[in-house]
Amino acid sequence: MAASHLHELVAKGWVWQGQDLPAQKLQQQFIESGWSELDQHLGGGWLQGSVNELQLHAPFSGELAFLMPLLQQQTRPTVWLNPPCQPYAPGLRYQQLEPDLQWCLYESDPLKAVWAIEQCLQAQQVGVVLAWLPELSAACVRRLQQTAEQQQQLVFIFTPSKTATTEARAYVNRLRLYWHDGLHVEILKRRFGWPLAAFRCPVEDFLPERRRSAQQSAT
Amino acid sequence: MNAWLFLHFPHLLLDEQLAQQPADQQQLPQVLLEQQAGREPKVKQANLQALQQGVEVAMDWVMAQALVPELQTRNWVASREHQVLAALAQALYQDCAQIALYPPRGLLLEVKSLQRLYGGLEPLRARIEQRIQHQIPPLRYSLASGYSPLAAKLLAEAEQTLVTTATGPVEQALQQLPLQHSQLPAEQIQRLLDVGMQSLGSVLSHSAGALGQRFGKTMTQYLAQLRGELQQPQHYYRPPAYFYQRIDLLTEVQSWQQLLFPLKRLLQQLENFLQVRQLSTQQLLLKAYHRNHEPTQIEIGFAHPVWQQREIFQLVQLQLERQQLSHPALELSLWVRDLVSRESQKTRLFAAAKGEHQEDTQARAQLVNRLQARLGAQAVKVPQLRADLRPEKAHGLQPWQQIQQPTKPRYRSRLPRRPPWLLTEPEPIQRQQWQLQWGPERLVSGWWDDAPCHRDYYIALDPWQRQGWIFSDQQGWFLHGWFS
Repeated sequence: MAASHLHELVAKGWVWQGQDLPAQKLQQQFIESGWSELDQHLGGGWLQGSVNELQLHAPFSGELAFLMPLLQQQTRPTVWLNPPCQPYAPGLRYQQLEPDLQWCLYESDPLKAVWAIEQCLQAQQVGVVLAWLPELSAACVRRLQQTAEQQQQLVFIFTPSKTATTEARAYVNRLRLYWHDGLHVEILKRRFGWPLAAFRCPVEDFLPERRRSAQQSAT
Repeated sequence: MNAWLFLHFPHLLLDEQLAQQPADQQQLPQVLLEQQAGREPKVKQANLQALQQGVEVAMDWVMAQALVPELQTRNWVASREHQVLAALAQALYQDCAQIALYPPRGLLLEVKSLQRLYGGLEPLRARIEQRIQHQIPPLRYSLASGYSPLAAKLLAEAEQTLVTTATGPVEQALQQLPLQHSQLPAEQIQRLLDVGMQSLGSVLSHSAGALGQRFGKTMTQYLAQLRGELQQPQHYYRPPAYFYQRIDLLTEVQSWQQLLFPLKRLLQQLENFLQVRQLSTQQLLLKAYHRNHEPTQIEIGFAHPVWQQREIFQLVQLQLERQQLSHPALELSLWVRDLVSRESQKTRLFAAAKGEHQEDTQARAQLVNRLQARLGAQAVKVPQLRADLRPEKAHGLQPWQQIQQPTKPRYRSRLPRRPPWLLTEPEPIQRQQWQLQWGPERLVSGWWDDAPCHRDYYIALDPWQRQGWIFSDQQGWFLHGWFS
């Protein structure tokens, strides 16, 4: 009896299903993130046509290495909006990124910055947009998400993790990254499932080798 | 039928300079001198005051100075005079399509086709006169018509003003020309004088065949040119192409927003202009004219060549959103000078594309155009590799439109490990907060210029376990980049 009620509700689409393969995601396109555990959690990788938030405890704590497999796949320009520091051509080349395809944009006015992202998405000429922005209003994020979905483009917004108090609804994924003996990824929000506790992401391949010095092991 | 007019300006450069002087200065005797290697400079051009006091063209400078002690002298500059001549041709181009420059001081006009338009030579002459006097106020010139370019030229340079459609008077005037004005080589003139011929008429009275036998091939050619039997090709003046349009706004306009409508019309005209010529542009100059103020100028540059009204309008609109009109505008003008042929543009795009679709490259350029129109002319920058060992010189952020062909380094696998992030300025750090992990890599370079580098680079961890690129030199320890 109760089961048939549930079936009814599911049929009406009133029940949120926290399962691995919800019916509606089958048609959607995913781009492999390069990390099998993450792909599994996100239902197949980064959703084509999505705005994702990456919250950082501190900048430069592995976020670029985390995105490197995705960036290396790109044949179209990657837009770096307000990067915290200059993207350095010899270093990009070392990571097999084509410096000519890394477009840097600097715009301090957040509204203009959002406008610029929208332009990039609408032109359909860039592969990935990486934007370092202070807190964006939920309305802005929704606007971006709408455009990204229409144009099937991928956007990453980097925010400092303390200030992230905006509602997460507009983002497809919201991840928190921090370094503690390896890069840890905490899924705060994902489209197909509940939040997950932090797991370790093996990004070391894209970073210089670390060695435990005698000094460190002594302490 | 006289098909040619020749304009000769004996004192062109000086007249042009006089036109810019205040009235009292114009009254002073002035000459332009031609410097000659190893000899006394000679008078090249003189104004009326100097001529009245006895100065002559080709007179030695010392002589002229002795005649008129208060004589003002300047040097004659050929290139400057050529510019003045080209400007005159440009002005006359509105009346006559076929103008050939005869530097340094002559213009040849083909007028056969124009006589019907103007209803004879006389109205045309009046128009030309008005045009050149407007260009350079008291311009001294002589104007002669002729049945051949050479005939008109000889008469004009002999300062025989003669404008007529009939060939008879031209023939007569030519016959009376002394041989010195014939423009034959000097030794030819001497030989003709030796056989007792004093004027061009006496030469012309003999048959061309006989003269040719006696004086050679140059003489035959000269006579054929003079009679118009041998047509020499003329290099006609072509004005540089540009687009200029100025419109009256009828009412005073307060803001750029209100100017958009008339602007749209101007840009449509520009598109037509560019379309007919198969050209595009990368820059335009907008001017708004005010009642009592200097006009407001806005220069708008594009990252890639454009020509369609719709596209240009969008870009200009984005640009104008940032602008304010300081005073009400009465008129608006659009000036486009830098024109690019679409043909060459295509080949360049092709070269840049390298296996990509050309439309993609174009669409990318349009995107950059839009971004830069709103965010600033150099908003989109691209990191570029440079051949230098010094870390800060091995790269540069360049505006998108300036990037060159991608240059692939040959030994990709041997690239040294470099961080993907570089600080604009090295930041001083406290060594004890960092754990050295790898290094040192010693970089010594740049001793040849003012930014020498003598550093030991390390990869090190900061207290948050982040991998930094740090170095030590004589000044201490610095953070220069980040690896993550």
